[in-house]
Order: sequence, then C-alpha cells, then structure tokens
Amino acid sequence: MAVKVLILEDNPVARSFLCRVVRESFSDTILITEAGDLENARRHISLTGGAQGLHGVDPFKLILVDLELPDGNGMELLAELGHYPATKIVTTLYSDDDHLFPALQCGADGYLLKEDRFEVLVEELQKIVRGQPPLSPAIARRLLTHFRHGTGSDSHAPDSGFAPASGFTTSKPVPIEKPLDHERLTPRESEVLTYLSKGFTIKEIAGLMGIKWFTVNDHIKSIYKKLNVSSRAEAAVLASKQGLV
Amino acid sequence: MAALPHPPDAAGERGDGDSEFPTSTFGRPPVRRGRRSRWSGWRRHTLVLVALLGCVGILAFARWIAATPFVDIRCSGQGDGSLVLEGSTLPALQALRGRSVVAIGGNVGPPMPVDALLLHRSPRWQVDDAARARQLAQQEGLATRLAAGTLQLHFADGPVLTLAAAPRGWAGLGWLFWPLAGLALLLLLAAAVVLLARRRPLDLLYALMALCQAGNLLFIALETTRGLGLPAAALAPEMLVRLALDGCTGAAAVTAFARHPTRLPRAGWAAAAAWAAVIVCLALAWTGVLSPLWWWAQGLCLALGSAALAVIARSYRREPNPYAMVLRRFATATLATLLLVTAAVALAAQRGDVEPGAVAAAPVAWALFLASLLLLAPFLGRSRPLLREFALLAGIGTVATSLALLSVAAFSPSALNTLALASFIALALYVGARRWLLNHVVGRSVISTERTFELLYRAAREVQAQPARLSALQARLLRELFEPLEIFSVDRVPARARVVGGGSALVVPVPRADEDPTPPHALVLRYAQHGQRLFTADDARLVARVVDQMRRAVAYDQAVERGRHEERLRIAQDLHDDIGARLLTLMYQAPTPEIEDYIRHTLLDLKTLTRGLAASEHRLSHAAVEWKADLTQRLAAAQAELLWTFQCDIDMRLSVVQWSALTRVLRELVSNALYHGHATRVEVQFSLERGELLLRVADDGNGSKPQAWSHGLGLGGVRKRAKLLGGEVQWLENVPCGIVCELRITGFADRS
Repeated sequence: MAVKVLILEDNPVARSFLCRVVRESFSDTILITEAGDLENARRHISLTGGAQGLHGVDPFKLILVDLELPDGNGMELLAELGHYPATKIVTTLYSDDDHLFPALQCGADGYLLKEDRFEVLVEELQKIVRGQPPLSPAIARRLLTHFRHGTGSDSHAPDSGFAPASGFTTSKPVPIEKPLDHERLTPRESEVLTYLSKGFTIKEIAGLMGIKWFTVNDHIKSIYKKLNVSSRAEAAVLASKQGLV
Repeated sequence: MAALPHPPDAAGERGDGDSEFPTSTFGRPPVRRGRRSRWSGWRRHTLVLVALLGCVGILAFARWIAATPFVDIRCSGQGDGSLVLEGSTLPALQALRGRSVVAIGGNVGPPMPVDALLLHRSPRWQVDDAARARQLAQQEGLATRLAAGTLQLHFADGPVLTLAAAPRGWAGLGWLFWPLAGLALLLLLAAAVVLLARRRPLDLLYALMALCQAGNLLFIALETTRGLGLPAAALAPEMLVRLALDGCTGAAAVTAFARHPTRLPRAGWAAAAAWAAVIVCLALAWTGVLSPLWWWAQGLCLALGSAALAVIARSYRREPNPYAMVLRRFATATLATLLLVTAAVALAAQRGDVEPGAVAAAPVAWALFLASLLLLAPFLGRSRPLLREFALLAGIGTVATSLALLSVAAFSPSALNTLALASFIALALYVGARRWLLNHVVGRSVISTERTFELLYRAAREVQAQPARLSALQARLLRELFEPLEIFSVDRVPARARVVGGGSALVVPVPRADEDPTPPHALVLRYAQHGQRLFTADDARLVARVVDQMRRAVAYDQAVERGRHEERLRIAQDLHDDIGARLLTLMYQAPTPEIEDYIRHTLLDLKTLTRGLAASEHRLSHAAVEWKADLTQRLAAAQAELLWTFQCDIDMRLSVVQWSALTRVLRELVSNALYHGHATRVEVQFSLERGELLLRVADDGNGSKPQAWSHGLGLGGVRKRAKLLGGEVQWLENVPCGIVCELRITGFADRS
C-alpha cells in the first residue's frame, strides 16, 4: 500500500523540488498529494477522515507544510492537526527561532529549510521520520526557560550559564497554566537541554554525560513530548504561546 | 575622584559634629517636604508673634527716646576741644552761629563747663578713661538740666541764651534711627527663624549672637539721634553693657565654631575658656580695675575673634566642609576690619582734634558689617543676592571709613575731605573688589558658563548614545560640574534636587531607564569644589534642569530606537519574503550546481542580513553557540569534522553590524575550506581576551599559496568585513596542508 504524503506549498517550483526530496528519501511507494493553499489542503485532509483523523480512512502519513501561504499561515493547519496521526514537518525559508519555536509548539515534528541542498534535505527528512527532532541551541535555551518558569523552581536544572530570559526581550515570563507533574524535566533531561543550549552536539553531549548518543536522543524526544502536552488543547496552545512567543 | 559607595547609614555615623545633613536636615524628610508645609502651623504663629513683639519693643524704645527732652541745635568740636554752635532751627540762635559754648546752666545747680566731649556719643568707643568719665558727666548734667525744663547756653564772650527743652518727638529721632532699628528687628527675626526651623541647642548660640548684635544696633540707633540731649540712664552703663554684648557674641562664636560644622575635640574647653575670659573681664570692668578700659575691651574682642578664627580654621582642616571655609572667611573679615577700626579710632583719639562724627562712623560701619554677616550666615545655601550685596557694602564701608579715619588722623584734612575720601575709597573698593570678593568669600561658581555648556552638551550626547549608562554619566557630569569631595548614593529619593546641610551637600535624584533593575536612589554630593564652595539654590535649580533634560533625552532615544527597530523589522520582512522567495525559485531552476551554490550563498547572506536587521543585539555567547550549531550541521552534511574552541573573558553584546559581519566571515571561510579546499577537518578558534578578538579558521584541504589567490567575491567580502570591524585578516599555509585564516581585531569590545 502506498504511503500517502501531502505537500502544502504555494510555489510550484519548490513543490516539485520537495516532491523529489520525498521520493528520494523513502523506499516505499509514495503517493503525493499537492496543495497550493490552506483551503485545498483542508479539503484533502477532510477526504481522508478530517483533522482529527478519527475515521481512519487511509490518512496521510507525512505532511509537509509551508508557513507563508496565500490564504493564511501554515501554523493554523498544524494547530488543527494536533491529533492527526501523521508526521508533520514545516518546510520554510524562515530559520529563526521566532518561527521555529511556535511551529514546534503547534505540533510540528520537524523543520526543514527549503534552501538546503538536496542531499541535506533528504538526510534531515529521514532523521525526522525516524524520530529525531531538530533542536538548536536557541530553542534549547527557550525550552529551559519554559520549563523552569512553568514548573516553578526546578532546582535540578543546572545553570545554563545565561541569565534567564535575558537573551530575548519578547519572552517575559508570563505565568502560564500550571503544568502537571509529569511535565517536569528529569535532571538528565535538564542536563541535556543545558548542554544543547551551550551549543554542544548530540555526540559531544553523549561523551560529556557518559551515555550513548541514542540515549541523548531519547531524552530529547522525551523533552519534546513534554512540550507537546500543551498542544493537546487549543486553549493550552494559546496560553503557552503567550508565555513563549 | 571615585564615587564613594557610602551606605546611607554610614553617613549618619560620622559623629554628630559632622555637617547637619545626615542627622538632622535630611534625616527628617517629612518636615522638609516643602516650605509651605513647614512654615504653616505653630511655626508660623510663633514667628508672627515674635515679629509683633519685636515691633512693639522697637516702637516702645522709640517712644521712650522720643519722650526725652532735647534742644535742636547743631554743634561741632574745634581742634582745641571747644564746642562751637553750628546752626539751629531756633531763630534766636541764628545770630550766635560760630560762637563757642563754654558752659550750660539751667534751673538745677550752677552752670557746668562743657567742651567738645559733649558731642561724643558712644562711651563704648571713647578711648581715654578720663575723657569717658567727663563725657558721661557732661551728658548727665545736660540731661538733668533738660529734664528740669530749661537750658542756658553760656557763650565764650558773655552772652547767655535760655532755651526751653521740649520732648524730642518722633521727628527728632534722626534719619539713621529707623534703618538701624529695622536691622535690629531683622536680626531678631533671623534668630527666631533659625531657632524655629531646626530647634537645636547649637542654634541658641546663633540666636544669642544675633540678639547681642541687635542690642548693639539699638545703642547705636540711640546715639545717632540729632540735637543735644540723650537719656543719661542709657548712656551711663553703655560701656559695660556693650562690652558684655560684644563679649557674648565672641564667646558664642567660639563655642559654635567648635561644634559646627565639625565637632572638635576639647570643644568644651575652648568654649569654657572663652566664656571665662568674658566673665572675668566684665567683672573686673565692673569693679573699675581695668584701665584703660577701651583697650581692654578691644583686646578682649580681638582675642575672642582670633580664638574663633583659630577654631574654625582647625575645624576646616579636620573636615574640608565648605561651610566651615565660608565661616572662616567671615571670621577673618570681621577680625581684620575690627583690627582696622581699632587702629583708626586709637590713632584718631591720640590726635585728639578729629571730628567726632568721623570717629563714630567707623565703629558704626563695623557693627553694620557684623550684623549683615550674622544675617547672611544661616542662609548661605539659599543665595540671597540682596543680603550678600549688603554685607559686601557694609564690609567695604567699614574698611573705607576706617581708612579715611586713619588718613584723617595722619594728615588732618578737613571733615569734608574725610567724607569725600571715604566715599572715594568705598567706590573704588566696590568696583574693583566686588567680583573678587563675591567669588572668594561666598564662593560663587568658579566654572565658566562656556565650560558648563560644554560639559552638559557632552553628557547629553553620551546619554543619547548610551542610555543604559545614564546614572553613571549623570554622576560623572555632576562630579565635573561641582567637583565635590565625595559622592555617594542614598536610597531616600527627594522629589527634586535640593541643597541640604546649609549648602555643604546637594541631593540629586537619579533618573532611571525603563528596564533599569537598580532600585531608585539619589546621589549626595558633599563639599563642592573640593570643599571650597557652598551649594546654592541656583545649583539645585541647575541640577534639577539637568536631570530633567537627561530623563527626556533617554525617553526620546528610546522612542527613536523603537521606531528604528520597527522600521528595520519591516524592511527585513519585505526583503526576506520577496527577494528570498525569488532567489529560492531561481535556485531550484539553476542550470548548474555552481550557480545553485552561488544562489544558495546569496540566499544565506540575505537571511543573515535580514536576521541582523530584525534583532537589536546579540550576546556573544549566544551568537557563538549558533555559529557552532550552524557549522556543525554544514560540516556534517559535507562529511567533515569540526574542531571548535571558544573562549571569552567578557560576554559582550554584539552590535548588529558586528554580529552580521562575523557570521558572514565565518561562513565564507568555512565554505571556502569545504568547497574550494575540499577539507575533511576544519578547526575554528574563537577568542576574545582583554578586548582583542582572534578568529582562526584552519583546514586540512588542498589549498596552497594564498598570496597567489585572486581575490574574488568571497575573499574580498571577508577583507571588507574585517576592515569594517576595524581588524586585519591574513591567510597562511597550514602545516602539513591546508590554509589558515586569521582575523585579529584589537579593541573589539570597545566598539560595540
């Protein structure tokens, strides 16, 4: 059975490029649906069981979403697809964290930069589908601040070396919905996040912590899961957006 | 001089002999909130009451004098000591003008011989004891005869004229009476104001001095009335009473100077010695042991003055409070003029034939000078130009009359010439020395207007350039403007800048930038001009304006910066969205990989540019980890290894220009290593130590002979950016293979 992929991209040239990337990345039979705007994308998604993906009628396995679209922002669609059982990836030109972080908050599983070389994109796409989300140092810093403020005083989190909330002027610590206990970071996760925020690579972190690199990856995935808890309900998304964006 | 970080409490613990600033004046802010709140209520009522009582007292005094009998004739003394009739409003006397009066008679007793001593008014300034006794006897004889109702004037060659004595009346008080009485009243009020405002035991001493001098002025007022006939009851004890008044003033000055503004060790002993000297002198004078009494009196006054001067000079050496300095100058001026007056009067008395009016003028001028200094002393910080000018005039008057008297005693010119000489000397002194005296005695601003403007302008410019350094810049400006001995901050913030401690300190609230985390505080400047100058109300006003302007400059700058940021954001967004999308399309359709790469680099540069435009500033450590993450990803994609070392001694904030230039230089160098040198390993060293930045990118690629390279767009860009950052870049061959590029920027940390 063919793997269904939805590519939402308004630029036809970029769309065909992304098609090539997707086909190159996977050995399965690929069935690509292309959409140029949000309206078309929503129509295709509702044909496969709607945004909640409840009907289970052969849903898309992979959705690539551009952010800037003629009839709105791709982020809206991501928020709608909170429970849609697909790997959702943002493909965009914006590489700054002001775009990246909200996208991850809205439930994106990965983030691809359209200007990257073909080979790089293929590799990154494969990584994401295997479950290795991107984590830039700036994002790690934000996450640290997020969890620190969200969970009160997380005394286990080692000092990141940066004054909290001093690097970005927009993220004043607004009290958000009181997080549940399981949202707290474990000391190991905090450590990983701290190292990431200081620019260490996963391999280096594994060496520093004396663990295997895939254990570091597990920690990162777990951190993401905790982050995505807030995207279950749209209200919570809004709340955390206010606190973080 | 560095700002001394005194904790606010420490200021109050420097001993209560310190200026009153921390302990009293500034320590009671609720009382000090404003003149209105302070002088309403019981203070105002008491002051009004004191003023009313003073007026009633003066009027009663004037009424008493007005009731004493007199004859309205004008006489003058001759060189041989005889008394000559000069003129009168009485028609009967017109014919006898120019004839000398030898005796006075009346209904009481036999005629009493009189001479020029009858014209000497003040027994206090009568040098010779015998002359004083004769003067008092003649005055008493005159008073008794006037009281009996008639006065007979016996002229030298026989004629006797009988005059009826009449009460003096208000018109007979003379033109000097009311100004002198008014000055005495002012002194009383000043004493009341000082006492009511501060209510300290020390202020009692000031009040005592003021009241003593008010008493002196009343005596002088009494003695300047016109015509013949003074109340004998007031004249008889005049010498002793005025000696007591002067003695008390001097001893009070010694006592006060020993405690204020700095408390001296053994202050009590000095005060006790001064008071003891006064009491012993008075007691001996009372018993009549002291002879010649005038010399003893002058000796006592001069000794007390010298003691006060010594005490205040020592006080200034212990702590260079400008208030002590001004007091020292006052004491010096008083003592010097007193010495001059004493010398002049003594010389004139020795000569014996000097017009009594000329002799009397110098002591009167000196008393006025002392009174004006007393009036000025408590209000130095408030800059009362009128008072200051008056004190200056009185001082100059004293010096001028004394000098005139001295010259009269030396060369004996006529009375008219004396007056002309005194006026001339006074005018010359006033014109020539006024500016100098004002600058040096009261301590006016020494800094020129031009310099002030320069300092203000520079500070304003710097505040606009670096709003975050507002408080530091303000402190620097204040230091340059006033050169205080010390600056420290306190956490009690006044609403506006004001002078405290009688002019020894100035409290200035510090304006804060919006995101300034420091708590509100105020700066206290103490001892302006290295303790050479007092702060005035003008200074406080100037500083208030400065603070205001700086606050405005910061607000303006913030608004401008916000506007600029918004504008940059918009430009960045437009560039990124429009040009970025087009470049992307072009890149996908590129015919060759080279062109594709070229467009990709252009796109990356565009993105760096727009990110730089959008962000306002970057912390170096944050930027470094981004660079590292970026390079790691790119090198991993090219299957090359990255060796990254980074160290910096300060985590400075990079300006947009610095951030964007460094980002592009780094990217360009690594791209060269990867795509031209085909390196498998790139070593990046970044260090910022003592302001010097070193960026070293070494690879193991196949590049060689960098001197022979043609500088295309890439290397040219690196050179251009290095130059933009104020640094140098050079390429060398690496060992064993590859290329090393070194970018070195000295003083990098200062350029942000």
